[in-house]
Amino acid sequence: MVNRTVIIIIVFFLSIPFSSKAQPGPGKQTDEIALPAVNGDTIRLSSLKGKVVLLDFWASWCGPCRNSNKQLTKLYSKFKDKGFEILGVSLDSEINDWKKAIKKDKINWLQVIDNGGWEARTAIAWRINAIPTSYLIDRNGKLVGMDLEGKDLEKALKDILSK
Amino acid sequence: MKKIVLIGMMFIYTLQLNAQFTKATLQATGLTCALCSNAINKALKKVSFVESVESDIKNSSFKIFFKQDAEVSIDLLKDAVEDAGFSVGSLKMTGNFNQVIIQTDHHIKIGNAYFHFLEASKQSLNGENTITIVDKNFVTAKQFKKKSSLSKMACVQTGKAENCCSKDGVPANTRVYHAII
Repeated sequence: MVNRTVIIIIVFFLSIPFSSKAQPGPGKQTDEIALPAVNGDTIRLSSLKGKVVLLDFWASWCGPCRNSNKQLTKLYSKFKDKGFEILGVSLDSEINDWKKAIKKDKINWLQVIDNGGWEARTAIAWRINAIPTSYLIDRNGKLVGMDLEGKDLEKALKDILSK
Repeated sequence: MKKIVLIGMMFIYTLQLNAQFTKATLQATGLTCALCSNAINKALKKVSFVESVESDIKNSSFKIFFKQDAEVSIDLLKDAVEDAGFSVGSLKMTGNFNQVIIQTDHHIKIGNAYFHFLEASKQSLNGENTITIVDKNFVTAKQFKKKSSLSKMACVQTGKAENCCSKDGVPANTRVYHAII
């Protein structure tokens, strides 16, 4: 009986750090991402502090993501000199598919990969249930938006870049 | 003595099961890219007889592996996809067959369920074979219209045993899957 109580108490305290990891929401400080780029270098999300970052989860096989790349190309060239950066996180299992897609879509923003599909650690940590999924992060590393697209994204970007 | 009876029972049971489905290939359709959502993957993994699910990117389909010797329900696979907000566009079932004789418009029991083949020359299925389910909601509406026109029997439309099926000894109202090979 005593044993059981002890176990329950232990389980309760063990569950605290997990239960506090709810879905990333507005105003929350972001979890660190440290993943390899095409050249093998590790890129850290925290190294982008001071910039407004669009964290974009995608994969080469995801049609809507590839369409979104086209939109992001325009947006990136418009705002990259004003303190805007995109960090694309690919969930491709095949690294070569990812590299080919980067070339084909002429992606010139930061790209990293966590090649485990839905089971990739980053995908689980960020609760990714569908792609594309994107998070807009302000200069202080706080989440300010999710899944913004097109005009909404541009408007939000203008707002926080002018702050 | 008990042991012998048990072995005997197991033997009879194995004999009764003329086929066992081992895996399936499923394509889902919907308003959005089916593979881009983890919803179907998750829903399929929750089905009791499903061992694992793999996304086949190249063929934009899901490969579903069944638990060994588990009782497989084809309808439950469809339900999982629909609960995830998509529909089944194509479902191919692969299994090990043991002298299963099929013939167009005949109803036969494969594993635990009844099947009606809409397009099949008379043949005996042995070893690994794959059949395609063409019932309503297992193919696109257009495909269903095309495939269901292959048979005049009423069960094609309802997916349940009608008068047409009784000559093959299918109890009334039993689920009958329609397939092609």
